[in-house]
Amino acid sequence: MTWTAELEGRPGGLPARRRTRMERRYRRLLTLYPKAHRREHAEEMIGVLFAAADYDARVRAPRPVAWALRSGQHLADCADLVAGAARIRGRLLAHRVKQAARSSWIVRDQRWSDALAVISVIAPVLLLVAALAEFHLPQAVASSLTGHPHWRLTTTLGLSDLPLAAGAPAVAVLAFLRLRRLAGLGALAAATGQALLAQDGAAVQRPASPFAGPFAGWASPVVAFTVLLACTAAAALLLSPGPARGLALLTRGGATLIGAGALILGGFSVGGNVWLDTRSGFTQGLGSGMTGLPGDLLIAAVLVTVAVGCLRAPVSRRVLALLAIPVIPYAILWQEKLAGDLFGQAGGASASIASSLPLLYLPPLLLAIVIVAGTWLSRRRATRQGRPASPAGPRSAVSA
Amino acid sequence: MQEPTFLILTALAAGAQHGYGIMSDVARISDGRVRLRAGTLYAALDRLKADGMVTSDKEEVVDGRLRRYYRITDEGTAQLATEVRRIRANAAVAASRLGLAGGAL
Repeated sequence: MTWTAELEGRPGGLPARRRTRMERRYRRLLTLYPKAHRREHAEEMIGVLFAAADYDARVRAPRPVAWALRSGQHLADCADLVAGAARIRGRLLAHRVKQAARSSWIVRDQRWSDALAVISVIAPVLLLVAALAEFHLPQAVASSLTGHPHWRLTTTLGLSDLPLAAGAPAVAVLAFLRLRRLAGLGALAAATGQALLAQDGAAVQRPASPFAGPFAGWASPVVAFTVLLACTAAAALLLSPGPARGLALLTRGGATLIGAGALILGGFSVGGNVWLDTRSGFTQGLGSGMTGLPGDLLIAAVLVTVAVGCLRAPVSRRVLALLAIPVIPYAILWQEKLAGDLFGQAGGASASIASSLPLLYLPPLLLAIVIVAGTWLSRRRATRQGRPASPAGPRSAVSA
Repeated sequence: MQEPTFLILTALAAGAQHGYGIMSDVARISDGRVRLRAGTLYAALDRLKADGMVTSDKEEVVDGRLRRYYRITDEGTAQLATEVRRIRANAAVAASRLGLAGGAL
Protein backbone atom coordinates (compact mmCIF):
# COMPACT_ATOMS: atom_id res chain seq x y z
CA MET A 1 0.00 0.00 0.00
CA THR A 2 1.40 3.43 -0.91
CA TRP A 3 0.96 6.79 0.76
CA THR A 4 -1.57 7.74 -1.96
CA ALA A 5 -3.87 4.94 -0.97
CA GLU A 6 -5.85 7.23 1.33
CA LEU A 7 -6.67 9.46 -1.63
CA GLU A 8 -7.64 6.71 -4.02
CA GLY A 9 -11.18 6.98 -5.26
CA ARG A 10 -11.42 10.56 -4.04
CA PRO A 11 -12.82 12.80 -6.82
CA GLY A 12 -10.67 15.61 -8.12
CA GLY A 13 -7.46 15.70 -10.06
CA LEU A 14 -6.25 18.39 -12.39
CA PRO A 15 -8.53 20.15 -14.87
CA ALA A 16 -7.60 19.51 -18.53
CA ARG A 17 -6.56 23.11 -19.31
CA ARG A 18 -4.30 23.35 -16.30
CA ARG A 19 -2.86 19.95 -17.20
CA THR A 20 -1.94 21.15 -20.70
CA ARG A 21 -0.29 24.30 -19.35
CA MET A 22 1.68 22.34 -16.81
CA GLU A 23 2.81 19.76 -19.37
CA ARG A 24 4.07 22.50 -21.68
CA ARG A 25 6.03 24.02 -18.81
CA TYR A 26 7.50 20.65 -17.77
CA ARG A 27 8.54 19.86 -21.33
CA ARG A 28 10.23 23.25 -21.62
CA LEU A 29 12.16 22.58 -18.40
CA LEU A 30 13.07 19.07 -19.55
CA THR A 31 14.98 20.61 -22.47
CA LEU A 32 17.58 21.58 -19.82
CA TYR A 33 18.47 17.89 -19.44
CA PRO A 34 21.06 16.18 -21.66
CA LYS A 35 19.55 14.81 -24.87
CA ALA A 36 20.21 11.15 -24.01
CA HIS A 37 18.60 11.50 -20.59
CA ARG A 38 15.61 13.31 -22.09
CA ARG A 39 15.13 10.62 -24.72
CA GLU A 40 15.14 7.88 -22.10
CA HIS A 41 13.29 9.50 -19.21
CA ALA A 42 11.24 12.54 -20.39
CA GLU A 43 7.87 10.72 -20.77
CA GLU A 44 8.43 8.76 -17.60
CA MET A 45 9.27 11.93 -15.63
CA ILE A 46 6.17 13.74 -16.91
CA GLY A 47 4.11 10.75 -15.78
CA VAL A 48 5.67 10.95 -12.30
CA LEU A 49 5.18 14.74 -12.14
CA PHE A 50 1.48 14.38 -13.00
CA ALA A 51 1.02 11.53 -10.56
CA ALA A 52 2.40 13.79 -7.81
CA ALA A 53 0.34 16.77 -9.02
CA ASP A 54 -2.85 14.64 -9.08
CA TYR A 55 -2.17 13.66 -5.48
CA ASP A 56 -1.80 17.31 -4.45
CA ALA A 57 -4.99 18.23 -6.37
CA ARG A 58 -7.05 15.68 -4.41
CA VAL A 59 -6.12 17.08 -0.98
CA ARG A 60 -9.26 18.56 0.57
CA ALA A 61 -8.80 22.12 1.74
CA PRO A 62 -10.56 25.50 1.38
CA ARG A 63 -10.19 26.79 -2.17
CA PRO A 64 -7.53 29.50 -1.61
CA VAL A 65 -5.47 27.10 0.52
CA ALA A 66 -5.76 24.31 -2.09
CA TRP A 67 -4.76 26.76 -4.85
CA ALA A 68 -1.75 27.99 -2.85
CA LEU A 69 -0.77 24.39 -2.07
CA ARG A 70 -0.99 23.31 -5.75
CA SER A 71 0.90 26.38 -6.99
CA GLY A 72 3.57 25.97 -4.35
CA GLN A 73 4.07 22.29 -5.21
CA HIS A 74 4.16 23.08 -8.93
CA LEU A 75 6.80 25.77 -8.41
CA ALA A 76 8.82 23.43 -6.19
CA ASP A 77 8.61 20.68 -8.86
CA CYS A 78 9.79 23.16 -11.54
CA ALA A 79 12.71 24.32 -9.36
CA ASP A 80 13.58 20.69 -8.61
CA LEU A 81 13.60 19.87 -12.33
CA VAL A 82 16.09 22.69 -12.92
CA ALA A 83 18.26 21.52 -10.00
CA GLY A 84 18.10 17.91 -11.25
CA ALA A 85 19.22 19.00 -14.73
CA ALA A 86 22.10 20.97 -13.18
CA ARG A 87 23.15 17.93 -11.10
CA ILE A 88 23.12 15.56 -14.10
CA ARG A 89 24.95 18.03 -16.35
CA GLY A 90 27.47 18.79 -13.58
CA ARG A 91 28.17 15.08 -13.13
CA LEU A 92 28.56 14.62 -16.90
CA LEU A 93 30.95 17.55 -17.04
CA ALA A 94 33.00 16.25 -14.11
CA HIS A 95 33.16 12.82 -15.75
CA ARG A 96 34.34 14.33 -19.05
CA VAL A 97 36.96 16.49 -17.33
CA LYS A 98 38.23 13.44 -15.41
CA GLN A 99 38.36 11.39 -18.60
CA ALA A 100 40.09 14.21 -20.46
CA ALA A 101 42.68 14.59 -17.72
CA ARG A 102 43.31 10.84 -17.75
CA SER A 103 43.52 9.97 -21.41
CA SER A 104 43.13 12.82 -23.83
CA TRP A 105 46.03 14.73 -25.30
CA ILE A 106 47.92 11.47 -25.62
CA VAL A 107 48.49 10.43 -29.22
CA ARG A 108 46.38 7.34 -29.91
CA ASP A 109 48.73 5.73 -32.43
CA GLN A 110 50.85 3.41 -30.28
CA ARG A 111 54.11 3.79 -32.25
CA TRP A 112 53.95 7.57 -32.44
CA SER A 113 52.97 7.69 -28.78
CA ASP A 114 56.01 5.56 -27.91
CA ALA A 115 58.25 7.67 -30.15
CA LEU A 116 57.05 10.82 -28.40
CA ALA A 117 57.66 9.14 -25.03
CA VAL A 118 61.29 8.50 -26.03
CA ILE A 119 61.58 12.11 -27.23
CA SER A 120 60.23 13.21 -23.83
CA VAL A 121 63.43 11.75 -22.35
CA ILE A 122 65.84 12.95 -25.05
CA ALA A 123 64.55 16.48 -25.68
CA PRO A 124 64.79 17.75 -22.05
CA VAL A 125 68.36 16.33 -21.87
CA LEU A 126 69.32 18.05 -25.13
CA LEU A 127 67.66 21.26 -23.98
CA LEU A 128 69.64 21.19 -20.76
CA VAL A 129 72.88 20.46 -22.64
CA ALA A 130 72.13 23.29 -25.10
CA ALA A 131 71.54 25.72 -22.22
CA LEU A 132 74.72 24.61 -20.41
CA ALA A 133 76.79 25.03 -23.55
CA GLU A 134 75.11 28.26 -24.69
CA PHE A 135 75.87 30.00 -21.41
CA HIS A 136 79.31 28.35 -20.99
CA LEU A 137 78.20 26.92 -17.68
CA PRO A 138 80.61 23.94 -17.77
CA GLN A 139 83.48 26.44 -18.23
CA ALA A 140 82.16 28.54 -15.36
CA VAL A 141 81.98 25.48 -13.09
CA ALA A 142 85.46 24.34 -14.19
CA SER A 143 86.81 27.85 -13.61
CA SER A 144 85.36 28.04 -10.11
CA LEU A 145 86.79 24.60 -9.29
CA THR A 146 90.25 25.01 -10.81
CA GLY A 147 90.72 28.76 -10.76
CA HIS A 148 91.81 28.58 -14.40
CA PRO A 149 91.52 32.10 -15.90
CA HIS A 150 90.51 30.90 -19.39
CA TRP A 151 87.59 28.80 -18.21
CA ARG A 152 85.19 31.47 -17.06
CA LEU A 153 81.62 32.52 -17.70
CA THR A 154 82.03 34.51 -20.91
CA THR A 155 78.40 35.20 -21.65
CA THR A 156 76.60 37.90 -19.71
CA LEU A 157 73.13 36.62 -18.99
CA GLY A 158 70.43 39.05 -20.05
CA LEU A 159 66.63 39.01 -20.04
CA SER A 160 66.55 37.25 -23.42
CA ASP A 161 68.61 34.37 -21.98
CA LEU A 162 66.23 33.82 -19.08
CA PRO A 163 63.76 31.43 -20.82
CA LEU A 164 66.52 29.00 -21.80
CA ALA A 165 68.74 29.51 -18.74
CA ALA A 166 65.87 28.95 -16.29
CA GLY A 167 63.52 26.90 -18.47
CA ALA A 168 65.89 24.14 -19.55
CA PRO A 169 66.98 23.02 -16.04
CA ALA A 170 63.38 23.36 -14.80
CA VAL A 171 62.04 21.19 -17.66
CA ALA A 172 64.72 18.56 -17.11
CA VAL A 173 64.08 18.39 -13.35
CA LEU A 174 60.27 18.26 -13.76
CA ALA A 175 60.51 15.61 -16.49
CA PHE A 176 62.63 13.35 -14.33
CA LEU A 177 60.39 13.92 -11.33
CA ARG A 178 57.68 12.41 -13.60
CA LEU A 179 55.72 15.71 -13.55
CA ARG A 180 55.04 15.29 -17.26
CA ARG A 181 52.36 17.92 -17.81
CA LEU A 182 54.12 20.55 -15.72
CA ALA A 183 57.38 19.87 -17.59
CA GLY A 184 55.51 20.12 -20.92
CA LEU A 185 53.99 23.44 -19.96
CA GLY A 186 57.43 24.61 -18.79
CA ALA A 187 58.94 23.68 -22.15
CA LEU A 188 56.13 25.51 -23.92
CA ALA A 189 56.73 28.59 -21.76
CA ALA A 190 60.49 28.39 -22.44
CA ALA A 191 59.86 28.18 -26.22
CA THR A 192 57.42 31.09 -26.12
CA GLY A 193 59.72 33.19 -23.94
CA GLN A 194 62.72 32.41 -26.12
CA ALA A 195 60.77 33.34 -29.28
CA LEU A 196 59.38 36.56 -27.78
CA LEU A 197 62.68 37.75 -26.30
CA ALA A 198 64.87 36.68 -29.23
CA GLN A 199 64.53 40.14 -30.79
CA ASP A 200 65.96 41.87 -27.70
CA GLY A 201 68.78 39.35 -27.55
CA ALA A 202 69.66 39.94 -31.20
CA ALA A 203 69.81 43.70 -30.69
CA VAL A 204 72.02 43.41 -27.60
CA GLN A 205 74.33 40.60 -28.61
CA ARG A 206 74.66 41.07 -32.36
CA PRO A 207 74.26 44.77 -33.21
CA ALA A 208 75.95 44.18 -36.57
CA SER A 209 74.24 40.89 -37.21
CA PRO A 210 74.12 39.62 -40.79
CA PHE A 211 70.49 38.63 -40.09
CA ALA A 212 69.25 42.17 -40.43
CA GLY A 213 65.60 43.11 -40.54
CA PRO A 214 62.61 43.09 -38.22
CA PHE A 215 62.96 39.35 -37.41
CA ALA A 216 66.75 39.35 -36.96
CA GLY A 217 66.53 37.54 -33.63
CA TRP A 218 64.52 34.64 -35.03
CA ALA A 219 66.78 34.22 -38.05
CA SER A 220 69.58 32.95 -35.81
CA PRO A 221 70.07 29.16 -36.09
CA VAL A 222 70.78 29.00 -32.35
CA VAL A 223 67.44 30.62 -31.52
CA ALA A 224 65.62 28.46 -34.09
CA PHE A 225 67.25 25.31 -32.69
CA THR A 226 66.44 26.07 -29.04
CA VAL A 227 62.88 27.24 -29.81
CA LEU A 228 62.12 24.16 -31.96
CA LEU A 229 63.79 21.84 -29.44
CA ALA A 230 61.69 23.32 -26.62
CA CYS A 231 58.56 22.99 -28.80
CA THR A 232 59.41 19.34 -29.58
CA ALA A 233 60.00 18.68 -25.87
CA ALA A 234 56.66 20.31 -25.02
CA ALA A 235 54.78 18.26 -27.65
CA ALA A 236 56.47 15.04 -26.49
CA LEU A 237 55.77 15.68 -22.80
CA LEU A 238 52.16 16.75 -23.33
CA LEU A 239 51.12 14.23 -26.01
CA SER A 240 52.76 11.04 -24.78
CA PRO A 241 52.74 8.89 -21.61
CA GLY A 242 55.98 10.67 -20.73
CA PRO A 243 59.54 9.88 -19.59
CA ALA A 244 58.52 6.80 -17.56
CA ARG A 245 57.37 5.03 -20.74
CA GLY A 246 60.28 6.52 -22.71
CA LEU A 247 62.86 5.14 -20.28
CA ALA A 248 61.16 1.73 -20.35
CA LEU A 249 61.48 1.70 -24.14
CA LEU A 250 65.12 2.77 -24.31
CA THR A 251 67.64 -0.04 -24.52
CA ARG A 252 71.00 0.27 -22.79
CA GLY A 253 72.68 0.96 -26.17
CA GLY A 254 70.14 3.65 -27.00
CA ALA A 255 70.60 5.35 -23.64
CA THR A 256 74.40 5.26 -23.98
CA LEU A 257 74.23 6.71 -27.48
CA ILE A 258 71.94 9.51 -26.33
CA GLY A 259 74.17 10.33 -23.36
CA ALA A 260 77.38 10.31 -25.39
CA GLY A 261 75.75 12.18 -28.26
CA ALA A 262 74.37 14.90 -25.97
CA LEU A 263 77.76 15.27 -24.28
CA ILE A 264 79.62 15.59 -27.59
CA LEU A 265 77.06 17.89 -29.20
CA GLY A 266 76.98 20.07 -26.08
CA GLY A 267 80.77 20.18 -25.90
CA PHE A 268 81.39 21.11 -29.49
CA SER A 269 78.49 23.00 -30.89
CA VAL A 270 75.90 25.44 -29.66
CA GLY A 271 77.85 27.38 -27.10
CA GLY A 272 81.25 26.98 -28.73
CA ASN A 273 84.07 24.48 -28.32
CA VAL A 274 84.06 23.48 -24.66
CA TRP A 275 86.37 20.51 -25.02
CA LEU A 276 88.80 21.96 -27.59
CA ASP A 277 88.50 25.67 -26.84
CA THR A 278 91.67 27.51 -27.98
CA ARG A 279 91.38 29.89 -25.05
CA SER A 280 91.62 27.04 -22.60
CA GLY A 281 95.35 26.64 -23.17
CA PHE A 282 94.77 22.89 -23.40
CA THR A 283 94.81 22.96 -27.22
CA GLN A 284 96.77 26.12 -27.91
CA GLY A 285 99.39 24.20 -29.83
CA LEU A 286 96.86 22.68 -32.19
CA GLY A 287 95.92 25.90 -34.01
CA SER A 288 92.43 27.11 -34.84
CA GLY A 289 91.94 24.87 -37.89
CA MET A 290 92.73 21.75 -35.89
CA THR A 291 90.45 22.73 -33.02
CA GLY A 292 87.39 23.45 -35.21
CA LEU A 293 87.47 20.71 -37.80
CA PRO A 294 87.68 17.64 -35.50
CA GLY A 295 84.73 18.99 -33.60
CA ASP A 296 82.72 19.45 -36.80
CA LEU A 297 83.52 15.94 -37.96
CA LEU A 298 82.70 14.51 -34.54
CA ILE A 299 79.30 16.26 -34.59
CA ALA A 300 78.60 14.84 -38.06
CA ALA A 301 79.68 11.38 -36.87
CA VAL A 302 77.35 11.59 -33.86
CA LEU A 303 74.40 12.69 -36.01
CA VAL A 304 75.03 9.96 -38.61
CA THR A 305 75.48 7.28 -35.91
CA VAL A 306 72.25 8.32 -34.20
CA ALA A 307 70.41 8.34 -37.56
CA VAL A 308 71.72 4.90 -38.56
CA GLY A 309 70.98 3.51 -35.10
CA CYS A 310 67.44 4.84 -35.29
CA LEU A 311 66.66 3.13 -38.59
CA ARG A 312 66.46 -0.31 -36.98
CA ALA A 313 63.03 -0.27 -35.33
CA PRO A 314 59.66 1.28 -36.27
CA VAL A 315 59.49 3.38 -33.10
CA SER A 316 63.07 4.63 -33.38
CA ARG A 317 62.47 5.60 -37.03
CA ARG A 318 59.67 7.80 -35.74
CA VAL A 319 62.02 9.15 -33.04
CA LEU A 320 64.42 10.11 -35.84
CA ALA A 321 61.66 11.91 -37.77
CA LEU A 322 60.67 13.87 -34.65
CA LEU A 323 64.28 14.71 -33.74
CA ALA A 324 64.84 16.00 -37.27
CA ILE A 325 62.51 18.94 -36.51
CA PRO A 326 64.97 20.77 -34.19
CA VAL A 327 68.04 19.25 -35.89
CA ILE A 328 67.35 21.05 -39.22
CA PRO A 329 68.43 24.51 -37.91
CA TYR A 330 71.21 22.76 -36.01
CA ALA A 331 72.49 21.34 -39.32
CA ILE A 332 72.46 24.84 -40.81
CA LEU A 333 74.48 26.08 -37.84
CA TRP A 334 76.87 23.16 -38.31
CA GLN A 335 77.52 23.80 -42.01
CA GLU A 336 78.19 27.49 -41.25
CA LYS A 337 80.70 26.41 -38.60
CA LEU A 338 82.27 23.88 -40.96
CA ALA A 339 82.67 26.47 -43.72
CA GLY A 340 84.20 28.89 -41.21
CA ASP A 341 86.62 26.26 -39.94
CA LEU A 342 87.63 25.20 -43.46
CA PHE A 343 87.93 28.58 -45.13
CA GLY A 344 88.23 31.01 -42.22
CA GLN A 345 85.51 33.43 -41.13
CA ALA A 346 85.81 35.60 -44.26
CA GLY A 347 85.67 32.78 -46.81
CA GLY A 348 83.29 30.69 -44.75
CA ALA A 349 80.41 33.11 -45.15
CA SER A 350 80.44 32.74 -48.95
CA ALA A 351 81.04 28.97 -48.84
CA SER A 352 78.04 28.20 -46.62
CA ILE A 353 74.29 28.42 -47.05
CA ALA A 354 73.22 31.61 -45.26
CA SER A 355 70.59 31.32 -42.56
CA SER A 356 67.22 32.83 -43.28
CA LEU A 357 63.78 32.63 -41.72
CA PRO A 358 62.29 30.39 -44.45
CA LEU A 359 65.32 28.09 -44.42
CA LEU A 360 65.28 27.73 -40.62
CA TYR A 361 61.57 27.34 -40.01
CA LEU A 362 59.91 26.13 -43.21
CA PRO A 363 61.51 22.66 -43.47
CA PRO A 364 60.79 21.81 -39.77
CA LEU A 365 57.24 23.08 -40.21
CA LEU A 366 56.74 21.02 -43.38
CA LEU A 367 58.18 17.97 -41.64
CA ALA A 368 55.80 18.41 -38.70
CA ILE A 369 52.87 18.77 -41.14
CA VAL A 370 53.93 15.64 -43.03
CA ILE A 371 54.15 13.67 -39.76
CA VAL A 372 50.71 14.82 -38.56
CA ALA A 373 49.04 14.41 -41.97
CA GLY A 374 50.70 11.03 -42.60
CA THR A 375 49.60 9.70 -39.21
CA TRP A 376 46.07 10.95 -39.75
CA LEU A 377 45.84 9.42 -43.24
CA SER A 378 47.21 6.06 -42.13
CA ARG A 379 44.79 6.01 -39.22
CA ARG A 380 41.89 6.83 -41.53
CA ARG A 381 42.90 4.12 -43.99
CA ALA A 382 43.25 1.60 -41.17
CA THR A 383 39.82 2.54 -39.79
CA ARG A 384 38.25 2.05 -43.24
CA GLN A 385 39.91 -1.33 -43.62
CA GLY A 386 38.74 -2.29 -40.13
CA ARG A 387 42.15 -2.99 -38.60
CA PRO A 388 43.97 -1.20 -35.77
CA ALA A 389 46.05 1.77 -36.99
CA SER A 390 49.17 0.66 -35.19
CA PRO A 391 49.67 -2.41 -33.07
CA ALA A 392 51.25 -2.02 -29.67
CA GLY A 393 54.99 -2.12 -30.03
CA PRO A 394 57.30 -4.42 -28.06
CA ARG A 395 58.49 -3.31 -24.63
CA SER A 396 61.93 -2.32 -25.93
CA ALA A 397 61.15 -0.82 -29.29
CA VAL A 398 64.02 1.64 -29.37
CA SER A 399 67.34 0.06 -29.97
CA ALA A 400 70.23 2.02 -31.25
CA MET B 1 25.84 7.63 1.33
CA GLN B 2 23.34 10.50 1.35
CA GLU B 3 19.91 10.01 2.88
CA PRO B 4 17.87 10.15 -0.39
CA THR B 5 20.20 7.52 -1.91
CA PHE B 6 19.86 5.33 1.17
CA LEU B 7 16.07 5.65 1.09
CA ILE B 8 15.82 4.94 -2.66
CA LEU B 9 17.91 1.78 -2.26
CA THR B 10 15.83 0.79 0.77
CA ALA B 11 12.65 1.28 -1.25
CA LEU B 12 14.01 -0.90 -4.06
CA ALA B 13 15.31 -3.56 -1.65
CA ALA B 14 11.71 -4.78 -1.27
CA GLY B 15 11.34 -5.26 -5.03
CA ALA B 16 11.26 -3.46 -8.39
CA GLN B 17 9.30 -0.21 -8.40
CA HIS B 18 8.46 2.56 -10.87
CA GLY B 19 9.39 6.24 -10.31
CA TYR B 20 6.24 7.33 -8.53
CA GLY B 21 6.22 4.12 -6.49
CA ILE B 22 9.75 4.93 -5.24
CA MET B 23 8.69 8.49 -4.34
CA SER B 24 5.68 7.20 -2.39
CA ASP B 25 7.70 4.50 -0.66
CA VAL B 26 10.47 6.89 0.36
CA ALA B 27 7.88 9.21 1.93
CA ARG B 28 6.36 6.25 3.79
CA ILE B 29 9.75 4.87 4.97
CA SER B 30 10.82 8.29 6.25
CA ASP B 31 7.42 8.88 7.81
CA GLY B 32 6.72 11.78 5.46
CA ARG B 33 9.97 13.57 6.43
CA VAL B 34 11.64 13.11 3.03
CA ARG B 35 9.61 13.89 -0.03
CA LEU B 36 11.52 13.29 -3.24
CA ARG B 37 10.56 15.23 -6.33
CA ALA B 38 10.97 14.10 -9.90
CA GLY B 39 14.14 16.12 -10.58
CA THR B 40 15.91 14.83 -7.47
CA LEU B 41 14.68 11.26 -7.97
CA TYR B 42 15.82 10.96 -11.58
CA ALA B 43 19.16 12.65 -10.89
CA ALA B 44 19.74 10.09 -8.10
CA LEU B 45 18.57 7.18 -10.30
CA ASP B 46 20.88 8.40 -13.07
CA ARG B 47 23.84 8.35 -10.68
CA LEU B 48 22.91 5.02 -9.15
CA LYS B 49 22.57 3.47 -12.61
CA ALA B 50 25.97 4.87 -13.60
CA ASP B 51 27.46 3.38 -10.40
CA GLY B 52 25.85 0.01 -11.17
CA MET B 53 23.70 -0.01 -8.02
CA VAL B 54 20.33 0.17 -9.79
CA THR B 55 19.15 -1.08 -13.15
CA SER B 56 16.03 -0.72 -15.32
CA ASP B 57 13.71 -3.68 -15.05
CA LYS B 58 10.53 -3.63 -17.15
CA GLU B 59 8.34 -1.01 -18.83
CA GLU B 60 4.58 -0.64 -19.10
CA VAL B 61 2.16 1.98 -20.35
CA VAL B 62 -0.55 3.08 -17.92
CA ASP B 63 -3.13 5.72 -18.96
CA GLY B 64 -0.98 6.56 -21.98
CA ARG B 65 2.07 7.26 -19.78
CA LEU B 66 5.28 5.23 -19.76
CA ARG B 67 6.21 3.55 -16.50
CA ARG B 68 9.69 2.14 -16.10
CA TYR B 69 10.49 -0.13 -13.19
CA TYR B 70 13.84 -0.09 -11.41
CA ARG B 71 15.43 -2.78 -9.33
CA ILE B 72 18.45 -2.90 -7.04
CA THR B 73 21.52 -4.81 -8.28
CA ASP B 74 23.81 -7.08 -6.25
CA GLU B 75 26.28 -4.20 -6.02
CA GLY B 76 23.51 -1.93 -4.71
CA THR B 77 22.45 -4.55 -2.18
CA ALA B 78 26.03 -4.91 -0.95
CA GLN B 79 26.42 -1.12 -0.65
CA LEU B 80 23.15 -0.82 1.22
CA ALA B 81 24.14 -3.64 3.58
CA THR B 82 27.49 -1.93 4.26
CA GLU B 83 25.70 1.33 4.98
CA VAL B 84 23.23 -0.39 7.30
CA ARG B 85 26.13 -1.95 9.24
CA ARG B 86 27.86 1.41 9.49
CA ILE B 87 24.75 3.22 10.71
CA ARG B 88 23.98 0.40 13.16
CA ALA B 89 27.53 0.49 14.59
CA ASN B 90 27.43 4.27 14.97
CA ALA B 91 23.99 4.14 16.54
CA ALA B 92 25.16 1.46 18.99
CA VAL B 93 28.10 3.62 20.10
CA ALA B 94 25.86 6.68 20.43
CA ALA B 95 23.26 4.71 22.39
CA SER B 96 25.83 3.26 24.78
CA ARG B 97 27.35 6.69 25.44
CA LEU B 98 23.91 8.10 26.12
CA GLY B 99 23.19 5.20 28.46
CA LEU B 100 20.41 3.99 26.21
CA ALA B 101 21.82 0.53 25.54
CA GLY B 102 19.69 -2.50 26.32
CA GLY B 103 16.77 -1.76 24.08
CA ALA B 104 15.87 1.66 25.39
CA LEU B 105 16.11 3.04 21.85
